[in-house]
This record gives sequence, C-alpha cells and structure tokens, in this order.
Amino acid sequence: MDVVVSLSTAYKLYPPFASLDCLSSLNYPFHLNRGRKNQKVCRLKAGFWESIRSGILKNNTAQVIEPPSTTEEEEEPLPEEFVLVEKTLPDGTVEQIIFSSGGNIDVYDLQDLCDKVGWPRRPVSKLATALRNSYMVVTLHSTIKSSEEEGNDQKKLIGMARATSDHAFNATIWDVLVDPSYQGQGLGKSLIEKLIKTLLQRDIGNISLFADSKVVEFYQNLGFQPDPEGIKGMFWYPKY
Amino acid sequence: MAVITSVVYVDYLPSKFRWLPRTTAKINSPPPILISTNPLHVNPNNLKELYTLCHHSCHRFPTVDAAGRVEPVDLLKLRTAISHSSIVVSVFTKPEFLEPQSSISNGIGGEWIRNLAPVTLENGELIGFGRAVTDMALTASIYDVMVHPTLQGRGIGRMIVQRIIRMLTNRDIYDIAALCTDNERFIPEVLFFKACGFGDDMLGSTTMMYTRPPSGYSKDEQMISAGRKLLLIPQPRELSR
Repeated sequence: MDVVVSLSTAYKLYPPFASLDCLSSLNYPFHLNRGRKNQKVCRLKAGFWESIRSGILKNNTAQVIEPPSTTEEEEEPLPEEFVLVEKTLPDGTVEQIIFSSGGNIDVYDLQDLCDKVGWPRRPVSKLATALRNSYMVVTLHSTIKSSEEEGNDQKKLIGMARATSDHAFNATIWDVLVDPSYQGQGLGKSLIEKLIKTLLQRDIGNISLFADSKVVEFYQNLGFQPDPEGIKGMFWYPKY
Repeated sequence: MAVITSVVYVDYLPSKFRWLPRTTAKINSPPPILISTNPLHVNPNNLKELYTLCHHSCHRFPTVDAAGRVEPVDLLKLRTAISHSSIVVSVFTKPEFLEPQSSISNGIGGEWIRNLAPVTLENGELIGFGRAVTDMALTASIYDVMVHPTLQGRGIGRMIVQRIIRMLTNRDIYDIAALCTDNERFIPEVLFFKACGFGDDMLGSTTMMYTRPPSGYSKDEQMISAGRKLLLIPQPRELSR
C-alpha cells in the first residue's frame, strides 16, 4: 500500500496532535486527522478494548493511549502567517517571503527542498507523519506576485524547521533547512528565533538540538551553548 | 501490561532446603515488579514524590537549595507532560520491598510466600518511571528515567529503557536520543545510558541547548525562568534585503 496522497494536491495538516491512537496507527498508517471528532471516537474504542484487555495478563507493547485530560483545552500553537520581507525584483515583480506556522506543507515540496540541501531521502509517508506529530512546524514560502496579471503567483517552499515537545518542559528542534539560493540572508535565524519565542512563551524551558559540526556556530549566534554544564546527548545503537 | 513476578515453586526443592533463609540474596536481581506502559496508571502526585526522592528535576538546570534538594515539580505541567509523551513506562512494586534486605528474612519461608502474591496496581507503589516524546516516524527523545534510590543498581532502570526502545523500534523509529547530565553526585546518567546501548552520535553532531540570558540592557526584554536559568525571549528582528 503506497502513499494515499496524489501528486498535485497539497497536504492539509491540521494542528499537530501528539496523541497516539493505537487503533488508528494500526489500521491507517497515513491517517489524516479529519478533525477532533474522529479522534474522540477512536479514543472511545481504545478504552473499550483496554477494558477487555485489562483482564488478560499479556505482554502488550502497543499500550499508548491519550487519556482524556482537562489539559486538552490548552491551545496548540496558533497558526500564524505574515510577510517577513518583501523585495522588488529587477523585472518589476514583487517577491514576498512569507513566514507560516500553520503546518500547511506539501510533503513533496519538502522532499524537493531536502534534495536541494543535499539530505538523504526519507520516505514521504514518514515525513508526513513526522510533520503531523511535531509540536510546531514553521515554514518560509517565497511568493512572486506578477505585476501584470492577477492570480498568477508562484509560491514555493524555501525553508522549514520543526520541533517536537512534551508541551511542558522539553522541546527538541529537528530538521532545519533553507533553500541554498536563499541562504545567508538571515532567514534561517528568523525561523529559529520564531520557534524559540513561541516555545519560551509557552514556558517550555529546555530547548535542545543536535547540530552538525558545520552549523554549531550558527546556533551559537542564536544563543545555544554546546554541551552546557556537562549535558550530553546520546543516541541508541542496536547491537546485533 | 507485563507482570513480572519471581514465583518460586516450593514443591520442586528438596525438603532440607525449604526453610533456609535467603542470606545470600542476589543483590543485583530486581524484586517482584509490575511494569505498565499505560499513562493512566501513573498518579501525578506519586510521580511528583518520586521526582523529589530521586533528586530529579524536569529542568535541565534546576534550582538546588542549600540542602541539595531540587525544587519540586509543577504538578500541572507534569500532567501535561505525561499526557503528551508518546510513551510512558511506570514500574511498581510492593511497599515491603523498599525496606532494607535484613528486615525481610524472618519467619518460616516467609520470603517465598511473600513473592508468590503478584504486584498489582492496588498494592503497588510507584518506584520507577521513564517517558519518551516522538514524532511517530523519524525521531524520539527519552526523558526523565528514574528509579527509587533504594532499588537502584538492580536492573530496573535498564528494563525501563529497554521497554521504551522496544516500543519505538516496533514503530520503526531508530533515531532515539537521550539527554543526560554528567552529574558526579549521583549515579552518572552517562554510564547508565552507555550500559543500555547508547553512545555518542555517529554523525558527530553536537548537543546544544538554548541558554541565552537577558542582557539586561534593554527594558523591553522578555524572559522566562527555567530552573535556575533565565532565558531571553528573542524579539522579531527587521530583515532588510
């Protein structure tokens, strides 16, 4: 079973849900969140099976259910969109760089951008799931408005960053990328600063990331410290 | 849910061994425990106490008072964190196993009979915890792995981490990160995670954390406090091309 999304349609991603729905993840690997209503129905089903299962002592690995908590009402990051910078090109058209935190990304555009920066290819379905379950995804799009005709704008994805979080204490920033032809203009810095600002405003104090050696200085300029006070990041290596 | 008990079948042993008190108890094996991966089984109040007992703080740079105790965890934030952690593992045992070993061995075969009754949620006390946050496809981060101090060094922490890893690899997630504090005072987390199979990143990436404090020059600066650190909230900058 391959990816359900057709090539021309953009993926509409709703505000990310960090909950794990054991039923939906088992049956619908590329489950599109069709709104909170569907989520609630699946949660009820999960509770039903859980009550049956609780009597049986089985070694169950898929025990991941979101409890219906009152903290559900806390707001997810509100989607924002604004023009970051505007420039008039020599041929008279106006190029706008638009910042957006709404998460409306075409996954295939993202894959093209990853190719442009030279990253290894990852399955599209995994990219889509990762974006959907990230706490915050910020993007930069470049829109060229043609001066003559209406409605003939070209819009392309030129930057992205995402962060996963437990919504309370910790956040980790992954996958920061900017189109090589737009680098060096402070766009990457704006992306990260916006991400940090939103995280801190939500009182999430532990913001961490794992930087390649080439970009350590970039993040230092943004206020990140490498290995602060003996904190070390470790990764798991399976031993065969 | 997995129930792990060490049940000893008394019938299989020759009669002369039956009343022998277990003086040569295997210190390194864990007591009878119940491992649960259901977040609903965790009582946030008990968890908050466990954090304090283990001297663990949710902040990377915690405020430590004069006696060396870390600040208690904010209960509301803890609830939020648990409900948004993709994986939550909790370990329970019966309260009597928290007692020092010497007070257990008494009576006639008392220990074996005590081991027969399984640990349940009703009679169990929370002694271990671990959680992980993932994006369900590519990456995962493990946070807050802790075990009650009197039961450390017996393989419980390793069980927690291995359970988390197994749940992640079942979902095809192999990029698993853990942040550890190289704190000399307590059991070094770095050694613990090394023993669980973690190591430095193969790609040579550097772990970095946001630590920029307010500069104090501008009145407009906004900040938040995270443990003992003050963090500056960056303000949007004007971009001119």
